[in-house]
Amino acid sequence: MDDAFFVQLAASAAAVGVLVAIAAWAKIAKPAGPLDEHKARELLEFEFPGRRLDAVWVASDGAGALARSGGLALVICTVGDGFAARQIPWAQAVAASFKNGKICLDLADIAAPRATISLPSWPPKDLAA
Amino acid sequence: MIHAAFDPVTLATPFFILSIILEIVLARLGKADARYEAKDTAVSLTMGLGSTVAGVITGGIVFAATLWVYQHRLFTIPMTAIWAWVAIFLLEDLTYYVFHRLSHERRFWWASHVNHHTSQHYNLSTALRQTWTGGVAGTWLLWLPLAWLGFPPAMIAIQKGISLVYQYWIHTEAIKRLPRWFEAVFNTPSHHRVHHARNAIYLDRNYAGILIIWDRMFGTFQPELDGVPCNYGVVKNLATFNILRVAFHEWIAMAADAVRHPRHALGYIFGPPGWSHDGSRETSHMIKARVLGPKVPTEPEREAA
Repeated sequence: MDDAFFVQLAASAAAVGVLVAIAAWAKIAKPAGPLDEHKARELLEFEFPGRRLDAVWVASDGAGALARSGGLALVICTVGDGFAARQIPWAQAVAASFKNGKICLDLADIAAPRATISLPSWPPKDLAA
Repeated sequence: MIHAAFDPVTLATPFFILSIILEIVLARLGKADARYEAKDTAVSLTMGLGSTVAGVITGGIVFAATLWVYQHRLFTIPMTAIWAWVAIFLLEDLTYYVFHRLSHERRFWWASHVNHHTSQHYNLSTALRQTWTGGVAGTWLLWLPLAWLGFPPAMIAIQKGISLVYQYWIHTEAIKRLPRWFEAVFNTPSHHRVHHARNAIYLDRNYAGILIIWDRMFGTFQPELDGVPCNYGVVKNLATFNILRVAFHEWIAMAADAVRHPRHALGYIFGPPGWSHDGSRETSHMIKARVLGPKVPTEPEREAA
């Protein structure tokens, strides 16, 4: 690797910084607002088509949702201006730690390590079993 | 470091930067359809930067292998002949189709290529979200037959560069549909939006590099449907912007599966993405069958719909 390569690399890194700054300045992210019950159900239906939704909990800040579908917990969490979805065993969701109004779910996935969802309380007493 | 006599990608780099700025500014002014999110853009561009470093590290081996094969060539094809450029244009594009299809349909190569599809956005910065592990995946071997046929290594490198530069500008939502004749022959923003979409009907479609004719010939073509807006990303979108997780997550997941289930390791490594020994996961084919029904519609049926 010669000097020219490192000069080119440094210039490219600077250009990356400038482009990211311009993208941040432009404020042209997807206009997806916080989730409400209707939007959450739509999103769950898109991510988990055909799945029965026994109950749905929407994050109090609209930045995620959690649903029970039989023995599974269907999890939606925000990633930037988009969403990621995973399913975990319901029992695992019930046993998840709940502190300061937030449930922290271990998604056991290298590409989606955990999801944090703001909820008023957890676990729900009537569906905990 | 190895320098090609004429490197289309290096020459096009200022165009890459200026066109991204233009796309952002036009979107900001409401003159173009484009969405940018700062963290997503940072990941895309950093992946692009990292891929150039990775390319330099493995480039020597790739060039040496190409040169060795060229020394054992069948014919000597002149770089100055027009027919030779027409031939390499078609053969390189066909090679790209094979490489791209393999990169989607077999997990070992998907582990390298998945990076390019992890953005939930589809803009010019997404084009630069390139793999760091292409050299390791070994897909460059697919281009060696061109050298064996007798195409000079520099000619192959130039045509690969031209293909890469061509594929840059099609990563945009700002351009809707191009004239019918162009859409019929060439890969376009519309065709490639389909390729980046995770809607069931769009999965594993439109592998083309420059010419869309390969998809039409081999049955993998899917037109963009007005009633089915593209939802970008991968079947299981990433829930992180950690660049190392973005770059290596599928390699790590694949290795973990192989270690956990050694008897089924070959299936987890060389099976289609989503394959599992107990059927607990879904491949693209299974998702299509579940969502679209057991009979995936043919191209004329899809167009009629």
